[in-house]
Amino acid sequence: MSSTPARTMLRSPFIIIVGTVLTWFIAAFLVWPNANVLIETFFPGGTFSGRAAEKLLSSQRAMKSLGNSFLLAVALSITVNVVGIFIVLVTHYFRIRGSRILFLGYATTFIYGGIVLAAGYKFIYGDKGIVTAFLLNIFPGMEPDWFSGFFAVLAVMTFATTTNHMLFVANALKGVDYQTIEAARNLGASTWTILRRIVLPMLKPTLFAVTILSFLTGLGALSAPQVLGGRDFQTITPMILTFTNSPTSRDLAALLAVILGVATMLMLAVMSRLEKGGTYFSVSKVSSALQKQRITNPAANIAVHAAAYLLFAVYTLPVVLIVLFSFADGAAIQTGQLSPGSLTIDNYVRVLTQPAGLRPFIVSVIYSALAAAIAVGGLLFVARILQKHKNWVTGLFEYLLHIPWILPSALLALGLIISYDHPNPLVGGAVLTGTTVILLIAFVTVKIPFTLRMLKASFASINSSLEEAATIMGAKTIYVFRRILLPLVLPAAAAIAALNFNSMLDDYDTAIFLAHPLVQPLGLVIKANTDGAEGVDGVSNTFVYTVLLMVITGLTMYLVYGRSGSRPGGRHGSKRGKRGTPDADAGTAVPVGSPATEAAGAKVSTASGGLTG
Amino acid sequence: MPDNAPVPVQKWVSIVHKLKTMAAAAVAVTLLAGCGAGAAAPEATGSSSAAGASGETLVVYTNSNGEGRGDWLTKKAADAGFKIEIVGAGGADATNKLIAEKNNPIADVAFGLNNMYFAQVKSAGAIEAYEPAWAGEVDASLADSDDDKAYWPLVKQAILLGYNSDKITPEQAPKDWTDLWSKDEFKTRYERVTGLGTATAQLVFAGILSRYKDDSGDLGISDEGWKQVEQYFKNGSPAVAKTDLFARIASGDVDMGQMPSSIVAEREKSFKVNVETVVPSVGVPLAVEQVALVKGTDKKEQAQKFIDWFGSADVQGEWAQQFNSMPVNKSAAAKAKPEVVEFFDGLKQQDIDWNFVQENMGAWVEKIELEYMT
Repeated sequence: MSSTPARTMLRSPFIIIVGTVLTWFIAAFLVWPNANVLIETFFPGGTFSGRAAEKLLSSQRAMKSLGNSFLLAVALSITVNVVGIFIVLVTHYFRIRGSRILFLGYATTFIYGGIVLAAGYKFIYGDKGIVTAFLLNIFPGMEPDWFSGFFAVLAVMTFATTTNHMLFVANALKGVDYQTIEAARNLGASTWTILRRIVLPMLKPTLFAVTILSFLTGLGALSAPQVLGGRDFQTITPMILTFTNSPTSRDLAALLAVILGVATMLMLAVMSRLEKGGTYFSVSKVSSALQKQRITNPAANIAVHAAAYLLFAVYTLPVVLIVLFSFADGAAIQTGQLSPGSLTIDNYVRVLTQPAGLRPFIVSVIYSALAAAIAVGGLLFVARILQKHKNWVTGLFEYLLHIPWILPSALLALGLIISYDHPNPLVGGAVLTGTTVILLIAFVTVKIPFTLRMLKASFASINSSLEEAATIMGAKTIYVFRRILLPLVLPAAAAIAALNFNSMLDDYDTAIFLAHPLVQPLGLVIKANTDGAEGVDGVSNTFVYTVLLMVITGLTMYLVYGRSGSRPGGRHGSKRGKRGTPDADAGTAVPVGSPATEAAGAKVSTASGGLTG
Repeated sequence: MPDNAPVPVQKWVSIVHKLKTMAAAAVAVTLLAGCGAGAAAPEATGSSSAAGASGETLVVYTNSNGEGRGDWLTKKAADAGFKIEIVGAGGADATNKLIAEKNNPIADVAFGLNNMYFAQVKSAGAIEAYEPAWAGEVDASLADSDDDKAYWPLVKQAILLGYNSDKITPEQAPKDWTDLWSKDEFKTRYERVTGLGTATAQLVFAGILSRYKDDSGDLGISDEGWKQVEQYFKNGSPAVAKTDLFARIASGDVDMGQMPSSIVAEREKSFKVNVETVVPSVGVPLAVEQVALVKGTDKKEQAQKFIDWFGSADVQGEWAQQFNSMPVNKSAAAKAKPEVVEFFDGLKQQDIDWNFVQENMGAWVEKIELEYMT
C-alpha cells in the first residue's frame, strides 16, 4: 500500500528488468498495433473524419442499444454481486446441508457460457420451455413469452457470470480470521453484523475486481440479448460486430468500442479509488482458519436453505438439458421438442470422426495453455510491482495494460496484422503474419487485463509485514517473491490461469484472422460446423462441441483448482481443525493457500472497535 | 523462514509440481505436433508429383466449406495431386482477412465469395487477374466485370423468398417481397433479419433497393425505396439467434422468409416442412460464388493449376452432384441434379446493376443498421 516515488522505484534491478520487458511488450503489442488500426480507422487518407460520431448520435437504434448495454452493465454489477456473494456464503461461510452438492451446481458456470447457455435457459423458461409449460397449466392466462426482454437477459447473465465470485471471492473469504469473528460474536454481534462489518470489508479488493468484470460483461453482452432480448432489449455489441466487418463502417465500430472502453476505464478508476488506502490483510498476531457458521434463527435458516436449493435448480437445469439435447437431432433442438426415444450418439460420432479429428482440440489446448501460462506467469511480477508501488509511472502502465479491454478482438487482430505483415524493428525485424506466434501473442494480450486485475487483488490481500520480515532477515527480492509471495497468490494464479485457458479454447474472433493455416484451432472448426447457414446439423454440432468443451474445462478446473484445497468445507480448514491448535501456524508467517490468508485487518479492527464502543 | 510452515509449502510445492507437469505435457504435445507437421511435408511432396508441381501445400480461403464441402474438396484435390489446406471463414471474415493480409499474403487461392465480396477484395489489390483454362465454358457476364478479370464464376445461388406451402397456397402466397409489408395478412408472418452481416441478407436488400435507383436520392436510392426498407423492419418477426427459419416455420412461428436456393431441399427434409418459393415479376437476385488467385502468392503456378482443375467441368459437376449446387460451367450443368437445373432454367434472374450495388452496399448496410433496424 506504500506509495513510492517513481525515482526510488528505479533503484531496484528487479523492477528495471521487469519494467524494460513490460515497456517493450506494451509498445510492441498493445500500443503500436492498436494505434495503427485506430489511425487507419479515424484518419482515412490522413484527414480526421468525425462522421462516425455524427452518424451514431443521429441513430435512434444505436443510442438505444448503447443505453441498454449500459443499463445491463450497471444492473449486472449489482445483481451478480448479490447472487455471487449469496452462493459464496452458502457454500463457504454458513453451515448448509449438502453444501458440496450446491457447490458443484453453482460451479457449472465455470465450464460453459455464451450462446448455448442462453439457449439452455430458453429450453426451460422460453415460450416452449418446461417451466413455462408447467406454469401455463396452473395459470392458463399467462403470457407464454414471459421470459424475454431486459428481465430475462439480466437473469440469465446474472446466473451465468458468478464464476469469478465462486473462484476469487470464495478464496478471499477463506482468509478471513476466525478469531475476529468469534470475538465479535462474544461481544454480542449478530450474524448479519459480523457479515457486514467484518467479513465483507475483508473481501473488498476482490469484490471491486469482480464488479469491474461484471460491468464489462454487461457492456459486452452479446448472446443473451440476441436469444432472449426480443425486440425491446437489444444491446450494442451485435452492431459493433457488424460494423467491424464492414470496412466502410469500421470507424463506427471503433468509436462505439472506444465509448465502451472509456466507460470501463472510468469504472476502473472509481473502483481503484474506493480500494485505495484500505488494508485488506490480517494484522493480528494469532489468526485461525474460518469455520462454518450456523444460522441461529430457524426461520432464516430455512429461508437460506430454500433459496440455496432453488438457485441450485436454476444453475443445473440448463446444463442437464444441454447435455440431453446434445444427443438429439438439430430439428428437435431448434423446435425445443425432446423425446426420449430420439436420443442417439450420432451427433458425437459425426463430430469426432471428422477428418480433422482431435487435432484442432490439441492445437487449441496447447495455444490456450501456453497463453494462460505466459499471461499469468509474466503478470505475476507486474501485478506485484503495480500493487506495491503506487505512482504516476505504475498508474500509467496499469491503464496501458487495459487497452485490450477497449477494442473488440477482431480489431486487435487486424491491428496486429497491419503492424507485423512487414519486417518490423519492434520485433527484431521479423514478419509475424503467417507464423504460429502471432495468434499466441494475441491470446496473451487479450487475457492481460483480466489476469492483472485478479492478480492485483490477490496481492492486495497479503500482509506486507511478511515481506518486510523476510527482507530484514536478508532475503533477496527474488527469494522473497519466490518463497513468500508466490505461495500466497498461487491458488488464485492457478484459478486465473484455468479461467484464461478455458476462455480461449473455442476462440473464433481472434483465430479467424491470425491462425496459421496449418495449425487451425478449435474455434474455426466449430464455426465451420455450427454456423447458422451450415445446415441443420450445425445446431446439434454446437451442442456437442459445448459438451466436449465442458468436459475439457471441467477437467481443467478440477486439475488446477478443485484439488488445490479450495473445495467447500476447505480441505486445509479441516486439516487444521484436526491439528487442533490454530497456534501451530501462528507466527510462522506463510500459511495456507489463499491470497487473503491471515485475516482480520485494520478495517476490521476499527469495525470491531466500533462494536465494543 | 518459510520452511517453518510445512503444510502450505507442501501444498504449493504440489501445485507447482502439477503446473510443471502440465507445462511439460504441453511442450511434449507441441513437439509431437511439430513432428506431425514435419512428417506430413515429405509425404505431400510424394503425392503431388502426379500434378507435376512442387509439393507445397496450397492455402485456400473459402466461406463454402461447411456441410463437409471442405473435407470433400481436400480429399478430391489430394487424389488429383494437390495438397490443399482449407481455411474456412464467413464471407465477410474471409474478405477482411484477404484484404488485411495483402502485404504478406498467406492464402494462395480464394473461392466461394460472391461478386460483391470479391469486388472489395479486388479494389484493395489483394487478388490478381488470371484467366483459367475453363474461362470459355462459363458465362463471362457473371465474372468480374472489368477487362482484367480477377475472379471467375463457379456456382449460382438464387436468393429466394420461401413460404410454407402446407399452409399457404400459391394463389394466397405473396407475389413479391413488397407484399410482405404492404398486405396485412403477411405483416406478422414473415421472418425479418436482425443484422445485415450475411451475404444473403445483403443480396435481398440489393434486390429490393436497386429497384428504386434514383441519383438524387440518399445513397442513390429514392425516398420510396427507403420507405420499403422502413416498412420491412417495422413489420415482420425478428429472426431468433441460433434458430433456423425452417425451425420457426415448422413450429408455426412464421410462415415465410429469405433463403438461398441450395439449402431448401435439405432443410425441408430435416424439419419436415414443405416450402415453395416466390418468383417476383422482376426476377430473383442471383449470387454467384467465384474463385480467384491471391496476389503475391509464392506458389502461383500451382495455384493456377488448382483453379484450372477446380473450375473444370468434371470437378464442378461432381461438386454439384454432391452438394445440390448449380454450376456456372455449362458442361458441368449436365452433371448437376436435374431438379436443380430445371429450377434454374425456369428462373427469371433479376437485372441488378452490380457495380452500383458494390459501390453502395457498405453505406446501405450502415444506414439500414443505424436508421431502420429496430
